[in-house]
Amino acid sequence: MTIRTVLRLPAGQPENPKMTPPRTVQPTTGRRPVLGALAIIGYMVMIVPILFVVAAAFSGGDSLQFPPESFSLKWFAAAASYKPFMTALVSSAQLAVLATVLALIIGVPAALALQRSTFAGKGWVQGLFLSPLIVPELVVGLALYQQLIAGLGTATFTALLVGHTALLIPYAVRVTGASLALADPFVEEAARGLGARPFKVFTSVTLPLLRPGIVSAALLSFVTSFNNVPLSLLLQGRTFNTLPVSMLDYVQKSYDPMIAAMSTLILAATIVFAFIAERTVGFATIFGGINK
Amino acid sequence: MLSKKSSLLLLGPGLLFILIGFCLPALMLLLAPPGISSGQVFARLGRMLQDPYDLTIIGRTMGLGLLVTVLCLALGFPIALLLARSTSRWSGMLLALAIFPLLLSNVVRTYGWLVLLGQNGVIGQVISAMGLPAPQLLYTESAIVLGLLQLFLPLAIVSCYSAVAQVDAGLDDAARGLGASRTRVLWTVTLPLSLPGVIVAATLVFAGSTTAYTTPYLLGGSNQRMLATQLFNYSTVSIDWSAASAVAMIMTVLVFAVSAVSAAVGKKGRIS
Repeated sequence: MTIRTVLRLPAGQPENPKMTPPRTVQPTTGRRPVLGALAIIGYMVMIVPILFVVAAAFSGGDSLQFPPESFSLKWFAAAASYKPFMTALVSSAQLAVLATVLALIIGVPAALALQRSTFAGKGWVQGLFLSPLIVPELVVGLALYQQLIAGLGTATFTALLVGHTALLIPYAVRVTGASLALADPFVEEAARGLGARPFKVFTSVTLPLLRPGIVSAALLSFVTSFNNVPLSLLLQGRTFNTLPVSMLDYVQKSYDPMIAAMSTLILAATIVFAFIAERTVGFATIFGGINK
Repeated sequence: MLSKKSSLLLLGPGLLFILIGFCLPALMLLLAPPGISSGQVFARLGRMLQDPYDLTIIGRTMGLGLLVTVLCLALGFPIALLLARSTSRWSGMLLALAIFPLLLSNVVRTYGWLVLLGQNGVIGQVISAMGLPAPQLLYTESAIVLGLLQLFLPLAIVSCYSAVAQVDAGLDDAARGLGASRTRVLWTVTLPLSLPGVIVAATLVFAGSTTAYTTPYLLGGSNQRMLATQLFNYSTVSIDWSAASAVAMIMTVLVFAVSAVSAAVGKKGRIS
């Protein structure tokens, strides 16, 4: 009930002419110039640089220059036929898919146990599962480089997979945990009470309850791994590179608009990805879980 | 409820993975990197905390992190508030637009500033078209701040939004009805009630911006080193593992300290 309905005089009561008339309350969503101005600045900081990347991608010149000398698609063709980028794209996708699957295999059962049981030291266990979120990624990258690659002679891909999986486990635990927390545990009790075996309860009750959480966690994990720089930077090898890292290397070497074209392709792919995410589970489910 | 045995089975593999694949290597890096004793790491740390050059880097990292946090809240909270309280049909679109950058690669987002601030970049061109000498825009602290602000603003908006959305809009109306100005409602009702979410936002932004690598690397270059770029240099260019461990220690302690303080403040806020 809003204040407007509270302030409305009861029906039938005669209006007292001496009483000051109820103040009309303006809705809180009216014009707010200062907040509006700050919000516009915020959106500009977020969006304008991305728009200029897109504009630069269509340039016909050989260096980043504004206004571009001419319009062309040649940098898109150049990016798509640049071997290091395409190889790195495949590597990044493979790594992201495998790390996501591993993180879900580890994280979903953990989320289930953390939500549906009580035991001594649960807070510590939970903290341990979320700890990769806090420790700086560069620190994790160097730690795994020292212990796995330099120490044990592990292959680059294995070290990257361990690092990315560790990084994604908190997302899997948190996002599926958040969707599980919303679900009524008595539904499972009821199924058990009606004679379902534990496995049957899991497959026909718990898993469907978990599905939106698992889908959200999978989508979020995939992009997080695909976009990761610090871990991949320290664990990359001569033969194995991820896409963001090979783009960083290229920026160092050359100032031409090919990176802008590659970035625009990634932007287009991300927009498609965002639409799929919005249609399947909704942005709110995906990002709501993180701040719980 | 699950039995003790089944929850152990569900948690066991994950715990093992985290302990061996994450905690152990991280602890080894901080306390005993290969071929180096922890004494050497702490000695290096001690020297670093007295060296003016290293102190500049630590100071810059914390200072810029703080500035970015303040700016992210100053721009992110208004956006969150307006979106949460808006009844317009555009607000859903605008919220999606604010969240979308979280899905987009940091490299792509940061590269935009190279296009804008670079030598023949848009801003430089505009300034020289006005007949003024083109200032150095790239590889400055301001460039890093802009890049980090762009990077972490969506995170601040999402955290603030979920906090503001939980505050009953009826309370705003009630305060307005009792005669408070809009500004007063904001400072005495909406903001205090959404403070836990704002603290979460501040923690995430500070921890993120003091440990981010891509942005200071691309926009700060070698002029404006921060702890993250310094750690990368020690570990791959000069291969000085005791220095790398010392920097890693500073970064880790910084982030853990901020998280602990914010958790304590958050808890206190909830009780009172």
